[in-house]
Amino acid sequence: MKIAIAGKGGSGKTTIAGTLARMLALQTARQLVAIDGDSNPNLALTLGLPRSKHKALKPMPRSVVERVTTEDGKTRLQLAKSPHEIISQYGIDTPDGVNLLLMAAVDHAGAG
Amino acid sequence: MCSAHAAVRTLVGEMVEQDDRPTVIDMEAGLEHLSRGTVRNVDYILTVIEPYFKSMETGARMNKLAKELGIAHVYCVANKVRGVEDEKAIQDFCKNRDMDLFGMIPHDESLWEAERLGIAPLDHDKTSAAVTAIAKVSENLLAANGN
Repeated sequence: MKIAIAGKGGSGKTTIAGTLARMLALQTARQLVAIDGDSNPNLALTLGLPRSKHKALKPMPRSVVERVTTEDGKTRLQLAKSPHEIISQYGIDTPDGVNLLLMAAVDHAGAG
Repeated sequence: MCSAHAAVRTLVGEMVEQDDRPTVIDMEAGLEHLSRGTVRNVDYILTVIEPYFKSMETGARMNKLAKELGIAHVYCVANKVRGVEDEKAIQDFCKNRDMDLFGMIPHDESLWEAERLGIAPLDHDKTSAAVTAIAKVSENLLAANGN
């Protein structure tokens, strides 16, 4: 089950996304992946990661996505590693079995 | 297309497709990720709306874009709902605009307290009205998904 939470700024999107992620993990007793797609990330707080650990948050580098040339000479983007590897390398464990991934750096990298 | 957005789209898309764990994505505010199709591979879009016109109107636009992307289940969730007048405004708007309302989360002082203290709402008061309502949304999602 893959769920995206959308909404206007200030609508409480992050509060709902973070609390919902934890509830789903608790109710299913399963590992869950939470993706912070915001360029100004603060999902970690709602997920219950103590503030003292926020400085250590490691955004994923751009290099997790690579450009490859296909047989017909076109290029396309693909993951440089398996999702499993990406999550184990860059995922941040937060309470209740939620694993957090931060997209911010991936977004920023190509912007300059 | 801007390459940074293409990278995010690839990343989110492939993670969602190739990993079978349940996933919740907190999207950037606004319409951009929807209009660029960053989240085209998800099963559910929940658009958070507040009981005032501009917010509901934005939600309606987001839901329209999400449906155009071909996402199977497009819903809205009302937030910061204070009393029956707000409830009615939300219900009327959703009915008129053909939006599926998935849940209503009440305005809740304990969320403000949690924000002020810089802690998670769930860790501040897991029995608060808002947290209880979000738990209900979670249960309903699992039921809708056949879990």
